[in-house]
Amino acid sequence: MRFGKLYREQARAILAYALRRVESPEDASDVVAETFLVAWRRLDQVPLGGRERLWLYAVARRVIANARRAQGRRTRLAERLVETLRAELPVPPEPGGGATEVLRAMAGLGEEDRELLLLVTWEELSPSEAAKVLGLSQLAARSRLHRARRRLRRLLEEHESATRCSPRPHTEEAR
Amino acid sequence: MNTREIKMSLAAGDPVGQELLDRLDLEAMEAELLADLDGEQPASLPLAPGAPPRHRVRRFALATGVVALVVTAVAAILGGGASRHAPRAYGAELVRFAEATPLLLLEGSGWRVQDLNESRTREGTAGIMDFVTGRPVPDESIRITAGKAGFGEEGMLPAAVRQRKVQLSWRTGRLEPPPGARRPVSRPVLGTTATIDTHAGRVIVRDQAGTHVIEPGKPGDRQMAATWKEGDYVLELRAAVPDLAAFEERLGWLTRVSSQAWLDAMPAKVVKAADHEEVVREMLKGIPLPGAFKPSRIPNEGLTTDRSQVAGEVVSAVSCLWFGQWGEARRTGNRAAKLEAERAIASAPRWPVVRQLAREGRSSETLLKLVKSMPTGVWQFGPHRWRLLPKAEGLGCARLGIPLLPRKIKRQEEHGPPPPPN
Repeated sequence: MRFGKLYREQARAILAYALRRVESPEDASDVVAETFLVAWRRLDQVPLGGRERLWLYAVARRVIANARRAQGRRTRLAERLVETLRAELPVPPEPGGGATEVLRAMAGLGEEDRELLLLVTWEELSPSEAAKVLGLSQLAARSRLHRARRRLRRLLEEHESATRCSPRPHTEEAR
Repeated sequence: MNTREIKMSLAAGDPVGQELLDRLDLEAMEAELLADLDGEQPASLPLAPGAPPRHRVRRFALATGVVALVVTAVAAILGGGASRHAPRAYGAELVRFAEATPLLLLEGSGWRVQDLNESRTREGTAGIMDFVTGRPVPDESIRITAGKAGFGEEGMLPAAVRQRKVQLSWRTGRLEPPPGARRPVSRPVLGTTATIDTHAGRVIVRDQAGTHVIEPGKPGDRQMAATWKEGDYVLELRAAVPDLAAFEERLGWLTRVSSQAWLDAMPAKVVKAADHEEVVREMLKGIPLPGAFKPSRIPNEGLTTDRSQVAGEVVSAVSCLWFGQWGEARRTGNRAAKLEAERAIASAPRWPVVRQLAREGRSSETLLKLVKSMPTGVWQFGPHRWRLLPKAEGLGCARLGIPLLPRKIKRQEEHGPPPPPN
C-alpha cells in the first residue's frame, strides 16, 4: 500500500529530476524505473513525513552516478515511460534570455556545487533539503551554495568579457 | 548579471516544465512498475554498496553543457519508436498484489492451496489461506462443552486430519504479542524473526468458579502459531503439529513467489480479481434482476476470494435490491412494484447460484426464510413476530450500500456506506 502511494506521489518529481540530468528520455526512464526498484527493495529505509522525495532524489542521483550501459533487461516501466515521453512531450522551449549563458557557465562548476544549485532552483528545495539529498550538513550546504553562486557569477563575467574582447564573426560583419 | 538575474536565468533554463509533466499519465504505468517488481523482495535485500544498477543509464550530461542536454533530449523525444509494451494477463491484480498480498506459498512436497479468502478492513486488507496435503480438510467447528468433569471441547478433527492443514493469514496492522502466549519461542522466517506460540488455540472461559483454560489437542497434537511482521502486514502461520520441530519444518516451507506463480497456485474454487466480473456475470444468469440493478452493485474490491463468498454477495445484492423495491412499494402504495418484488424473491430457491450454494453445503437459510415471510411482511419465530425489513437487513444490505430501513437510507445518504469491519 505504502509503495503504491510512494510511486503515485513521487513519480513525477523523480521523472523531472531525471529528465533534467540525463541525455535522453530512454535514460531518464531507466533512472525512474531503477530508483523505484531500489525504493521497493529498501522500503523499510524510505523515510516518512514528507522526506520521501529527498530520499528518492538521493537514490536517483546515485543511480545516475553509477550508471553503466546495457547491464540488463530494460524494465517494463522504463519501456512504457519512454514510449509515453516520445508521444507526449513536445519540443522543450529553447532556453531564453540569459539562460543559455548561465547553463553553459554551470559546466565550469564542480559536480556537487552544480547539483546543489540545480536542486534549489529546478527542484525548488530549500538549502537544508538539498543538504539531505547530497548527504551534507546544513551548514556545509549553505556555505557551498553561497560559494557556487559566487563562482558561477565569476564564470559568467569571464565569459562576458571574453565575448566582448573576441572579434565579431565574419558573417556578422558581412550583414 | 547580478545574483538575482542568475537565479532567474537558471530557473528559466529548466528543460522540464510542470505542464509537460502534468500531461503524463504516470499513474497508469504503476502496473508496469509492479510487474518489474514481480518476484523481487521488498525491504529485505540490501544492495551491495556500489553495486551497478541492472539497467542502462547515462552519465550526467551537464559536464558537456546543459544546452546540449536539452537539444539531445528534444531529438530523442522526436525520434519516436515502436511500442514494445505487452499487456499482462493479471495487470490489475499485479498492482494490488505488490501492495496488499504477501506472495507466499507453502512449498512442502505434496502441499497445495485448498482455499483463500481476502477481505477489506478499515486498516487495509486481510486474508486467510489454507494449505493442505492429501484429501481436502474440512473446516473445524469446535464447541466448548461444560459437564460434571469440567469444561471440554467437541468437534475437533482427528489429529491425523488436523495435521494435514496449515493456515496462513495476514492483515494490515501492528504486531502485538499473542495474548497469553505460553512457552513462546523465536525462530527465523523469511529473513526475519517470528514468535511462535507453542500452545495456541486455547479458549479461556470465565464463570463463577473462576477462569478455565481449555487447550485443544494434547501432547503429540499441538496447535502452534507463528507471528511476524512484513512491511505493513502482520502474518500468522498456524498449524496443528506433533511437535515444535514439525512446526519449524512447515515454517521453513514458506517461500516467496512471483505473483504469476501465486495466481497459478490458486484452486478453481478461488476467484481471482481479474476473473471477478466474468464470474459474477455467470452467477447472475437465471436470476430476475430489478430495474435498479447495476453490475457495480456487486462489490469488486480487487481481492482474491472464495467462489462461495462471491456467490453470497451476488445473492445478497440482488435480494437486497428486491427487498428495497418491496419496502418502497409498500410505503408508496405501488402494488405493481410490490408484486413484482414478491414474485422475484419467491423464485430465489430456484436461482441457479442459490442451488449451487446448496450443493456445496452452504444453504441460504436466512434468504429462504425471508422468502417465506414476504407475503405477510412478518418474520415469525415461535411466539415472536418481527417486521420483515429489519430482518432482511441481515443479508448485509447496508454494507452493500443498499440500506432498506428509512433511518439507514438517510444515514447512508449523508455519510455513505459503513466502513469495512475491523
